[in-house]
Amino acid sequence: MPVVGLARQAMRQARTRTMAFVYLFALYAYVQPVGYRGAYPTQTDRHRFATAFAGNTGLRLLYGQPHDVVAVGGYTAWRVGGVLAIAVGLFGVFASVRALRTEEDSGRTELVLTGTVSRASVVAAALAASVSGVAALWLAEFAGFLLGGVPAGGSAYLALATAAVGLVFVGVGALASQLASTGRGALEVGSSAFCLLLLLRILADTVPGAEWVRWLTPLGWAELLRPFAHPQPYVLVLPAAFAAAMCIVAVRVAVGRDIGVGLVSRGNRADPRTRLLSSPVAQALRDQRGALASWIGAVAVFSFLLGVIAHGISSSDLPARTRRQLLKIGAGSVETPTGYLAFLFLFLVLVLSTFACSRIADAARDETEQRLQTLLAQPVSRVAWLGGRAALAAISVVALALTAGVATWAGARTGGVHVGLGQLLEAALNAVPAAVLFLGIVTLAYALTSRGGVALGYAAVIIAFLWNVVGSLFSPPRWVLDLTPFAHVGLVPTQAVRGVAVAVMIVIGVVAAAVAIGVFRHRDVL
Amino acid sequence: MEAIHTAGLTKHYGRTVALDSLDLSVRPGEVYGFLGPNGAGKTTTIRLLLGLHRPTAGRARIFGIDAWRDPVRAHRRVAYVAGEPALWPALTAGETLEFLAQLHGGTDTAYRATLVARFELDLRGKVRALSKGNRQKVQLIAALATRADVLLLDEPTSGLDPLMEAVFRDCALQAKQRGQTIFLSSHILSEVEALCDRVGILQAGRLIDQGTLAELRHLRAPTVELTFSGSVPDVRCPPGARVVGTAGNVLRLEVTGNPAAAIAAYADCPVTGVVSREPTLEEIFLRHYSGTGPSVVTRPERERQPSRGG
Repeated sequence: MPVVGLARQAMRQARTRTMAFVYLFALYAYVQPVGYRGAYPTQTDRHRFATAFAGNTGLRLLYGQPHDVVAVGGYTAWRVGGVLAIAVGLFGVFASVRALRTEEDSGRTELVLTGTVSRASVVAAALAASVSGVAALWLAEFAGFLLGGVPAGGSAYLALATAAVGLVFVGVGALASQLASTGRGALEVGSSAFCLLLLLRILADTVPGAEWVRWLTPLGWAELLRPFAHPQPYVLVLPAAFAAAMCIVAVRVAVGRDIGVGLVSRGNRADPRTRLLSSPVAQALRDQRGALASWIGAVAVFSFLLGVIAHGISSSDLPARTRRQLLKIGAGSVETPTGYLAFLFLFLVLVLSTFACSRIADAARDETEQRLQTLLAQPVSRVAWLGGRAALAAISVVALALTAGVATWAGARTGGVHVGLGQLLEAALNAVPAAVLFLGIVTLAYALTSRGGVALGYAAVIIAFLWNVVGSLFSPPRWVLDLTPFAHVGLVPTQAVRGVAVAVMIVIGVVAAAVAIGVFRHRDVL
Repeated sequence: MEAIHTAGLTKHYGRTVALDSLDLSVRPGEVYGFLGPNGAGKTTTIRLLLGLHRPTAGRARIFGIDAWRDPVRAHRRVAYVAGEPALWPALTAGETLEFLAQLHGGTDTAYRATLVARFELDLRGKVRALSKGNRQKVQLIAALATRADVLLLDEPTSGLDPLMEAVFRDCALQAKQRGQTIFLSSHILSEVEALCDRVGILQAGRLIDQGTLAELRHLRAPTVELTFSGSVPDVRCPPGARVVGTAGNVLRLEVTGNPAAAIAAYADCPVTGVVSREPTLEEIFLRHYSGTGPSVVTRPERERQPSRGG
């Protein structure tokens, strides 16, 4: 069966990514119910918790609409379902774009098609591999819940509500792969669609009267399935139908078009434009313009929206006990609009750090695709190349942070929250040092291992973030929590900038980058 | 000072010995052909010369400069053409030439325009849509237009059509006349025969032979072809000769001893034609890689797989 063989091969290629997500899903699903029982042992605790959160717009925005959070199941569904639905959505887009368009882009699909396999089977095999990745995540999440002591039936259903989102985004990725001609282009199309659908879910969860919008987005369907609180399993028809429809359309388009070309194909001829060709770094900037614009655009839109929503945060005085409970879930200051904005900038750290990793990933690709040899055979020093790419990444991080600051301020003003532009710019820049730290780490990881190093960098960012979010549920000793850089980011503007922490993070980042450049000078270039 | 000089140059990749104590020297203005089968270590040698990989032992110098220690200074005097062109997919051919010229410096733009015309390169095409041959042309034009002192060419004509191969030979000869040094790694023998002053033969990481074409020809006995009016007669092969093939009424002999004795053996047969010729480089090459030396397949060169998608 050639299809089975092809699907296996595709799964093998995606193995590292899939396994990373599997561990993440299992761990996250296990930790939340266990932590909840530890933090809120009695029914009274849980009621108090529920009333504090029932109307908190800020938390709804992040985790979605809560149902029945006084029970372990309901709480787990709320805390885990929303976050993992986002993760599985991104996973779906990546999985199918990599299996379809990136393969085609590399010329391997063409090779396979010269054999005795039909076009439809090649696409079907890629989709089967992506869907099996989503199935693995379903299993991982289910297993995590079971180990965490959540009832089996509800666990399976909750994990299914998450996985259904993944299926839809496998379809989205498959369609994007038909539209764009390159892997990079398809990822841009797919992730833009994802951002749009996430925005719709956020609107539905936070704007009064907009609940119906939930029906328009797969991320909303996951909420409408209502695991543990009046389940509505018939909603599953929606993701199933849409995923199937998109996959079928993708197959039909793929069968009818030229190999290597997308439906929306940019021309292959152009008049020369000689700007930004003076150095390797200038050329890298030229090459990344599209990606940078997408990141800046997405950050601007989300920041603006989050700024607008800040207005809805309850500013009534909360009792001290509730405040302590808020602290327990790592959302200590979300009771005022400004506090809520400060809390959001913690997510900006995550975004900037991930972005920094993606810039070094771009540089690493120059090496794995052998362009770096072409470059370094010229009178170009390795120090200038890697140092330049790291510096370009750092400058881009600052630009992205400033965008977030300005857009959040504009949003907050639009929503009627009185907060100064200076305050929010300071808050945004306060997110930069941790990103610089991770930039240094990912550069070092890349210098040490050209293949796979960047993946380690991404892993470091995600583990450090989850450490911060989840760790506090277990009330571990202070130093355990302090291991993650996220714990040292001051909640500006509510708190002051932590000068020492900022300096330490920047120094570690710069030193790591300097060591990276030293290591890179002395290794073989692929 | 020698244009290219290596002494005891050795490279191990893990337990694989890619290059084993290579001693080479190429004089300025010389065209040196570097021959060997796939995986012999030709590309490894070039990477070590460029300082892209670090020698396990020994040293490599270009005009006395160690490219591992001081790559920028060494590369100013070098232009490199990779066997597998790896360029930037989003740039057009023209933009790529401009970019490479900016990086190298000292490009002769008038000569570049001539080269573009001679190679019939379409400057407006995006690299992602170019065929391998066209990407190869981009590299060649960029390298030749620098007028660098040393041209390091790694299988430069792979992907080119025969017409373009001829253009390349022409341009390489011009470079030679201008006094540029050319290091040409290849397994296309006619190309090496046409261009090179000296040839080195690499096998499994070792230089197994080196010399001018005239010197290497002595390694191989001349071939004598006898044509008979009827079928090839059943005559016992004389000492000092060996039958290498028969085709119709033609007998091909490899003569290692006295040619007179060999021909005398057939004196009574109805010979209608005698042709004697020098061995081609191809024949020398085949002899070096079949039989005598160590097995060719034992030490494969590191795999180079272009994966544009990433």
